[in-house]
Amino acid sequence: MAKKRKHIETQPSVPLKKDESSTQRPKRTLLGWKDKVEEKEKDSPIFKNREKVLVTCSRRIKYRYRHLMLNLVSLLPHCKKDNKVESKESKGATLNELVELKNCSSCLFFECRKQKDLYLWMAKSPNGPSVKFLVNAVHTMEELKLTGNNLKGSRPILTFSTNFDKDPHWKLLKEIITQIFGIPKDHRKAKPYHDHVFVFSIVDDHIWFRNYQISVPHNETDKVDRGGLDKMTLVEVGPRFCLNPIKIFGGSFGGPTLYENPLYISPNQIRALEKRKKAGKYAKKIKAKTRRKMHEQSNPLEPDEFADMWKE
Amino acid sequence: MGVLKKELTSLNKDTLEEDNMGDVNDEASQSELESESEEGEDVMLTEPSKNSIYNSNGLLEKLGDISWPENVEWIHKLSIDISQEQEVDVNDDLARELAFYTQALEGTRQAFEKLQSLGLPFLRPSDYYAEMVKTDTHMVKVKGRLLAEKKNIEEAEERRKAREAKKISKEVQAQKLKERAKQKKEEIESVKKWRKQRQQSGFTGGDKGDEMSLPFEDGKGFERSNKRRPGVAPGDRSGGKARQGGGKGKKGTENKRKSRDYKDSKFGFGGRKGQRKQNTADTTNDLRGISKSSFSGNKKRKR
Repeated sequence: MAKKRKHIETQPSVPLKKDESSTQRPKRTLLGWKDKVEEKEKDSPIFKNREKVLVTCSRRIKYRYRHLMLNLVSLLPHCKKDNKVESKESKGATLNELVELKNCSSCLFFECRKQKDLYLWMAKSPNGPSVKFLVNAVHTMEELKLTGNNLKGSRPILTFSTNFDKDPHWKLLKEIITQIFGIPKDHRKAKPYHDHVFVFSIVDDHIWFRNYQISVPHNETDKVDRGGLDKMTLVEVGPRFCLNPIKIFGGSFGGPTLYENPLYISPNQIRALEKRKKAGKYAKKIKAKTRRKMHEQSNPLEPDEFADMWKE
Repeated sequence: MGVLKKELTSLNKDTLEEDNMGDVNDEASQSELESESEEGEDVMLTEPSKNSIYNSNGLLEKLGDISWPENVEWIHKLSIDISQEQEVDVNDDLARELAFYTQALEGTRQAFEKLQSLGLPFLRPSDYYAEMVKTDTHMVKVKGRLLAEKKNIEEAEERRKAREAKKISKEVQAQKLKERAKQKKEEIESVKKWRKQRQQSGFTGGDKGDEMSLPFEDGKGFERSNKRRPGVAPGDRSGGKARQGGGKGKKGTENKRKSRDYKDSKFGFGGRKGQRKQNTADTTNDLRGISKSSFSGNKKRKR
């Protein structure tokens, strides 16, 4: 019912159709929505966002990360959740097939290694770029400190910090994120009002994600009172996570490496370094002892003049 | 794919050294890169000293591939760019969260202005009930936790206030006692002075033109009230407060003590006069009241 109402209301606000350009918009094929744009189109009144996201995870994923995945599934109504994927053999090929099978245009794949580290793959299908992230600082929506709530399926407002426009790789990431996390306008399950906002910001070369509920005192649905904008408050809904980009590939789950993060150290390496630091403790102690001994031998002390004082 | 790569490598203008990996498989390339990077680093990296790939042209090309057409309306994208004014320190949690919050706030303000200009409904009416992302039971738990926190805070506040009030009341009590003592002292002093004065003026009675009108010469002396209070002995000058601390534990012996106290308060210490010996030194030898032939008295009494 709500959707019908919105449809009627938005009819007049759709801009007038200008002359369509000569090249017709490519038709939708089974493999998803091909968006190879040869020349600029003047206006796209028939632009329809047909984005569909496939969300899967690997086996042996921990409960915390599984809850994060489920939270994202509930936040994005244009996604399809699929079963767990065996991660041993070439996961690239299987995932590509899966995405095509399910008729999706992008994929969010949660990979959990050693039951400790979570890697997130964002990929555009069929031949779009893909990114691998390391996920840190995960807080799910079930935490009681995150008190906000929002409509299931309402379209979020996406905010990016301007750092995203500085480098090409950030620009690419921004585009991927906009397409994956932005809910298509006329999606079946999308609710009409905008009551939450996503925050993506780059701090310390990590992408931080936050989701806030907007609460503003209002009486009507399509405008805010004059002082209302100042009284707006945001309550955090969750989830929260921090993404560390590792690599960007030219193909979907494979392909040539387009970007590699120079500051990235894999968590295995970090753990190994820590252990190595601790490992040398005993050897160092022995060394220090022998060194001291040598030093004492080479510089003997003068005989103590009071040594015989208490002798019988 | 290989040809494309060669083209890209030749065009690369990046300052970092570029590593030409010929393979396509990402896993192999990843492992090789890691081994290369390991020989490049001996210590934990703080600056980008590794040889890493940065293929800006390839990135931009891919960006062009996937991006939506240029003149898509904003309503489809709903994205706002907010500038971060200052560098936020990652480890300072509060500052970081504040930065995110301000970014979100600014973003929503701008977005709402745009939406308002588009004339679309974007605010939820109060009677619109629909499924929310968190269930009602979960929100009840959240509410419970918030209330519990609030209660804890309030209780802590109350306890603190009570502690302070106790301190203050102790001080006030001390003050009052001091006042009373001072008053008492003053009164005694004034009596002494009056006596001295009278002594000095030679005990002349009815002094007319006496300057000092002393407070106790009003004609009304100190009158003990005739009221008998049950817990207070008649000779008690503490005002009945001396025995107040003993009213706590009333057990068997205490009950006996209670009746003793009661009798004390009625008849003064010692009990009813009629139950006592009544002879004095004069009346021992007074044999007026004894009849000669009366044997009904005490046999043990010597005659």
